[in-house]
Amino acid sequence: MLVHSPRARRAVQAAFFALFLPVFALPFLVIVTASLATGWSGAFPSGATLDHYRAVARGDALDALVTSVLTALAASAAALVTGTWAALAARGTRARRVVGVLFVLPVAVPSVVVGLALLVAFSEPPFLLNGTPAIVVLAHAILVTAFAYQSVAAALDRLDPACEQAAASLGASPLRVLVQVRLPLLLPSLSAAAGLCFALSMGELSATMMLYPPDWLPLPVKVFAATDRGALFPGAALAVVLMVTTLLALTAVSRIRTRAAYR
Amino acid sequence: MTTGIRFDGVTVAYGGTTVLESFGLTVEPGEVMALLGPSGSGKTTALRAVAGFVRPTAGRVFIGDRDVTALPPHRRGIGMVVQQYALFPHMKAGANVAFGLKAHKVPRGEIAARVAEALEMTGMSAYAGRYPRELSGGQQQRVAIARALAIRPGVLLLDEPLSALDARLRSGMLTELARLHRELPDVSMLYVTHDQVEALTLADRIAVMDGGRLQDCGTPQDLYRRPGSAFTASFIGSANLLPVTVTDGGVRLGGTRLDVPAGGAAAGASATLCVRPHLVGLGAGPNALRGTVTEVQWRGATHRLGVDIAGHRVTAELRELRETPPLGTEVTVHFAAHDAVLLPAGADGGEARG
Amino acid sequence: MASTEALSGRRPPTALPRLRVPAWALVLPPVAALGLVFLHPLALVLWQSVSPEGGGHGFSAYADVFAQAAFRDALRNTVLIAAGSTAGALVLGFALALVIAFVPFPGGRAVGRFVDVFLSFPSFLITLALLFVYGSAGMANGVWTGVTGAASGPFDFLHTPWGVLLAEITYFTPFVMRPLLGAFSRIETAQIEVAASLGAKAPRIVRQVILPEALPALAAGGSLVLVMCLNEFGIVLFTGAKGVTTLPVLVYGKAILDGDYTGACVVAVVNIVLSLALYGLYRMLTTRMDGVRRARA
Repeated sequence: MLVHSPRARRAVQAAFFALFLPVFALPFLVIVTASLATGWSGAFPSGATLDHYRAVARGDALDALVTSVLTALAASAAALVTGTWAALAARGTRARRVVGVLFVLPVAVPSVVVGLALLVAFSEPPFLLNGTPAIVVLAHAILVTAFAYQSVAAALDRLDPACEQAAASLGASPLRVLVQVRLPLLLPSLSAAAGLCFALSMGELSATMMLYPPDWLPLPVKVFAATDRGALFPGAALAVVLMVTTLLALTAVSRIRTRAAYR
Repeated sequence: MTTGIRFDGVTVAYGGTTVLESFGLTVEPGEVMALLGPSGSGKTTALRAVAGFVRPTAGRVFIGDRDVTALPPHRRGIGMVVQQYALFPHMKAGANVAFGLKAHKVPRGEIAARVAEALEMTGMSAYAGRYPRELSGGQQQRVAIARALAIRPGVLLLDEPLSALDARLRSGMLTELARLHRELPDVSMLYVTHDQVEALTLADRIAVMDGGRLQDCGTPQDLYRRPGSAFTASFIGSANLLPVTVTDGGVRLGGTRLDVPAGGAAAGASATLCVRPHLVGLGAGPNALRGTVTEVQWRGATHRLGVDIAGHRVTAELRELRETPPLGTEVTVHFAAHDAVLLPAGADGGEARG
Repeated sequence: MASTEALSGRRPPTALPRLRVPAWALVLPPVAALGLVFLHPLALVLWQSVSPEGGGHGFSAYADVFAQAAFRDALRNTVLIAAGSTAGALVLGFALALVIAFVPFPGGRAVGRFVDVFLSFPSFLITLALLFVYGSAGMANGVWTGVTGAASGPFDFLHTPWGVLLAEITYFTPFVMRPLLGAFSRIETAQIEVAASLGAKAPRIVRQVILPEALPALAAGGSLVLVMCLNEFGIVLFTGAKGVTTLPVLVYGKAILDGDYTGACVVAVVNIVLSLALYGLYRMLTTRMDGVRRARA
């Protein structure tokens, strides 16, 4: 539309792909290729191997994957409940602005600082969480709650109040309206938020680096440990596992979303 | 079963704006009351005060003899139909209709029969298994009406229910609503609309609203023939509104004396004379007025003539003329004394709406 | 109409005495939870930063930290890299989003979806990929030595601020593209067609029709990216560059590697203040954008 002559359009598209592919697609291609390579010091990797993945399946990398998934599930669940509750309760009240600022604040505070704050606050009784998996889950939950809150609050703003009012006029109590009308209508946004929370938690590194106990090593920490000691190719394999898990979760969630998107 | 609605001095204000002011109105059991007015007149606010979505700042709302002012919407036992249908998109039509019955804890065994009955009543039996998105606008509105009727409310609130439909569907639905009213003689209906045709067709009485106030209330015939205010006269049908001065046994428009029953108005007072355009005749007759033709419109069965009489515009709706007077010529128009209504002054007069 | 008596709505209002909870009170549980696990710990960080090792309270720790060259370097690096990355991401993101939205091509939707997925991946993957491409034993240098026969390649910027800058621009550009694509989709094609029919060429249309419309989204995306750049940790950590230290890396170093909690808290407070100031700006811009959008609706 903007560029009318076919030749100019082709030129623009060529420029787009010349920019887009190397900058955005190449990194992922490189990581996937490296994870399957024996070595890579020229234009192309030297040989194909599945050794790095075998190592993943054998070693404690599998534990790291399980750790990450469990952390992400727990943190997402906590964030969704808290964020949704806050968004629902604050809707239409004067508290809305304050709640909005409070719940988006964790985005503005550096993740490393969130980790530091938890270390400072929960290193002594009665709240001795330092050194337990709980502190990692807590950090992830705090960091992703902002996204859960934002997506639910935005969806609530878009929600037509007519449906809820129709339900109330038909004699449905506020609880019934919430469970049978409002939450089902929010389902697409809730599942999108769940996917986002899970993905962000899977990739969280900053706060985790500050907090992780020796028996609770999430995948990103494992990837860092591998690359830090120079094991780039096994690191790449771990990174691929991380990406694939994230993608699987996002796909599953978007399946739910398509089924839940009624209108 | 007690039905009927009573507004007792209901005032609604948001911030500093009063959208409904000391509104008093009674809807009798089984009556269809239309709230008619332009947008912003407070008619929807009045309806939402009955539904419980708007809390009055003053006054009380009664459903039957029960004061519902402080009750939350779900405990008022009303049925409501809104312009945008507001069907639950994640439920099939049947489940939509069953929703209110479940909320009212109707025994499980009874629900299916009542859903079928309600869908039957609106001619939607065949569509119970469809999702709202699979239905047309008119079908969705029928489901919405079935949903509201299924709980057998004593009071049915309709907020511009036909506005989202196209003209052809609208007239069909109007007939349907009239039939439902005949089949459910006990249900009081409050029908909010800005369309005078809907109000005239359906309502037993019409409450005319403007600027957050009740302007007039009466049967459609009364309001059309004997409007109580210039606003009513211009909002229901169209009207010529002329500023006149009351004299002994008549009125005067500029220099012309007119023979119109002045009622109780004191001589010398200002008033507004209302004459319907289709009651104005061309040529000599009683209450003759001379003026210049400023506009001629052909409307098929009728001709509409605009005549300038001493700076006042008078519209005459005439049965199709063989020959129309050319623009700028002088003509005489007249009207019968009993076709004119004298209204209190203060109206802006001018050309009629609609 | 026999069953109408059973309707709950028919009961007199006094039949069900209920505990009245004001609507806003329901907000309290989640806010209390947030206060306990986030706001209170944050306050403790602030408190610790003014409680030096020797006991008592004061700003001596701030004086100490501000006097360190490492801190001043980190502050300068953080601000410069963040500003540079934001500028780069804005330019690149605007150009790419413009093509996706207004020069449609097959696969454009897939590219849009790819951008969404990109946003949900961790930032350090970019650095990891760049290690393979530009690292000392990576692709680019390998090609160079292969072609020229030299002992080592010329690409050695990965452990410098430039490497961080490249990684951050790559990672954060999609964060600019997403709000832009949203804003672009709201521009009516008719508007552009009318402008074109009036004889406006593409650059003029971009400048006079598209840019004003996209400005709020650009501002919002830009300030979000600025805040995220100021707080970025993974990318800098993965470059493993000793020469490039930013505030978050300094917090990590002081707390975990040196065990100096008070110093870490001081740096953390500085980092928070910097981020919050920009975050405030971001909120201001987005609320204004919302206002504009609502005014148009």
